[in-house]
Amino acid sequence: MAAVRTKGEMLRHRLSIISLLVILALFLAPIFWITATAFKPRNLATTVPPTVFFQPEFSPFVKLMTKRSQLRSAPTAEVYNAAPWWEQTVFDGGEKVVRSGKGEVQLSGFPSRFLNSLIIAITSTVLAVGMGTITAYGFSRFKVAGEDDWLFFILSTRMLPPVVVAIPMFLMYRVVGLNDTHLGLIILYTAFNLSFSVWLMKGFIDEIPKEYEDAALVDGYTRMQAFFRIVLPEAATGIAATAVFCFITAWNEYAFALIMTNKRAQTAPPFIPSQVGSGLPDWTVIAAGTFLFLVPVAIFTFLLRNHLLRGMSFGAIRK
Amino acid sequence: MTQIELRNVNKFFGAVQVIKDVSLTVNDREFVVFLGQSGCGKTTTLRAIAGLETVDSGEILVGGVPVQDTRAEDRDIAFVFQSFALYPHLTVYENMAFPLRAVGTPKAEVDVTVRRVAGVLQISGLLKRRPSALSGGDLQRVAIGRALVRNPKAMLMDEPIGSLDAKLREEMRVELKRLHVEQGSTTIYVTHDQIEAMALADRIVVMHAGVLQQVGTPEEIYTNPVNLFVAQFVGSPVMNVCDVVVGDGVVTLAGAAEGFAMPQALTQQLQAKVTLGIRPEALEVVLEPSAGAIGAEVHLVESLGSHDIVDLRIGQALVRARTRAGLVSGPGLRVYVKADASRAHFFDEAGQSLGIRV
Repeated sequence: MAAVRTKGEMLRHRLSIISLLVILALFLAPIFWITATAFKPRNLATTVPPTVFFQPEFSPFVKLMTKRSQLRSAPTAEVYNAAPWWEQTVFDGGEKVVRSGKGEVQLSGFPSRFLNSLIIAITSTVLAVGMGTITAYGFSRFKVAGEDDWLFFILSTRMLPPVVVAIPMFLMYRVVGLNDTHLGLIILYTAFNLSFSVWLMKGFIDEIPKEYEDAALVDGYTRMQAFFRIVLPEAATGIAATAVFCFITAWNEYAFALIMTNKRAQTAPPFIPSQVGSGLPDWTVIAAGTFLFLVPVAIFTFLLRNHLLRGMSFGAIRK
Repeated sequence: MTQIELRNVNKFFGAVQVIKDVSLTVNDREFVVFLGQSGCGKTTTLRAIAGLETVDSGEILVGGVPVQDTRAEDRDIAFVFQSFALYPHLTVYENMAFPLRAVGTPKAEVDVTVRRVAGVLQISGLLKRRPSALSGGDLQRVAIGRALVRNPKAMLMDEPIGSLDAKLREEMRVELKRLHVEQGSTTIYVTHDQIEAMALADRIVVMHAGVLQQVGTPEEIYTNPVNLFVAQFVGSPVMNVCDVVVGDGVVTLAGAAEGFAMPQALTQQLQAKVTLGIRPEALEVVLEPSAGAIGAEVHLVESLGSHDIVDLRIGQALVRARTRAGLVSGPGLRVYVKADASRAHFFDEAGQSLGIRV
């Protein structure tokens, strides 16, 4: 329903739309920049002024995924024509893809790092949201002695910056053999996200009227059944919102990942900048890595967008 | 079905005692209404019977079996909530099937039962809808339907029509009465609305501050209130209560020149100072002086269509009388009032009825 607006209000409305567009452009500019760079030929990546119109190509992604070496001389026509299209794009850039003795393409470190990121972020999100929901339910529905103190204690685990605890954590992890393992990072991220998850979920569960559970109890269900059949579906919005936040935190985490891992369980965030390396950096490859790194969060958030929007405004209005 | 019995039930919330030594028997197939102001402990008592609240001492028996230590899900008692508490993510059909699924009823039987109950409640056309798409009255029917489907030992209702608008409330009241007559389930109904209580109840239980004040049929409660609380809580407009001086065959309101004539047999039993309670319909207003009528000044007239409520000043006291519509033209008029001695109530200083009647 559109309410009647005065001229002043119309003007303000237009001004706010314009300022929103400006803010949007400001926030989207780096994403556009990275995306454009990820599809540029290497020689156009760092031109001044920047190249806006160019023939997009996939060589940065091929180079991101494979091991390469500099070409000393141009490949013969025979070799060039025999190569698949994606390998030809690498030749065009003056490099060649490293193959093993049997002719198999050697992968770079990126695919495994990307997979590590997925495994660690998804697992830790599931754990943090699951445990957080159950804990929040307990705090929301039962009298817990010293409830406020406990909740503050849970939150306080989030108060120290990661860098402060990283060194002691690293030493402890090394002793118990958790450094550079998936499990190590999963535990770390779960613990890190749990406080956030408990607090957020408590807010959502507090909003669900207790009477639904009372009704389920008199309908003949146990409290556990009521939790799974009534509370969980009702909390779906909150769970989705919490999951997005936890996933983004775990996915983007840099400091712990840098310190705790180096190869086996390394995630994408510390890996991508390591490709800047020495000598002339290939910015298109880094942009391609960054672009791919953006995609899962974008997909995840997009899938849950309806829940998320409801989740953000949840509790703002009393029913 | 089932008899429900409370024996010396006590319940505390922290230091506050919300149920004080309540003992009560609700007979099989009886419709009992808990009536009282909000915070009087009526809902807590109901929730304790359902198993949603624990009691600190005393026994609750359902069908002769103590259940105070039995979990809510094992008591087989249905509960209709004031907010309806329909599960928003389930359709009407699923909401009504929910209690049946709890006990693993076969699918075909669930379907038959849900459709039969929906038919009784005239909500067959709504089965595929979500609660958010229903009106208040339909929500209420579904909530009752969910309670009825599994044939519970007893039905407990916590102000089930309290959130509906006045007209719908009246309709639903009739429907609830009809349902109770048809289904014959033992029912306890909580309300703060005395009209609802009078209309529905076989017996009314008046509660105040966690204590049972009076248990009786609507007529008993109305005509023989045991104390001032019950007297003033039941009946609309509220019973007039005034301090009076008792003379020989006359009862005078404080500050008034003349008193109401009452039989000597009555006044002889009374002490000099008591509290008189008299309902507005027991006061008769006449425009001309007549025998036994005392003078009064009209203070306010409320026209209600079928009748008028007239506020009268007699001495220092303000009393309300019910008159036929249009009898008294407006404020400031001098009128004359007679009291029906057979409908006068007398209370002691503590507000307890003296039980002295004509």
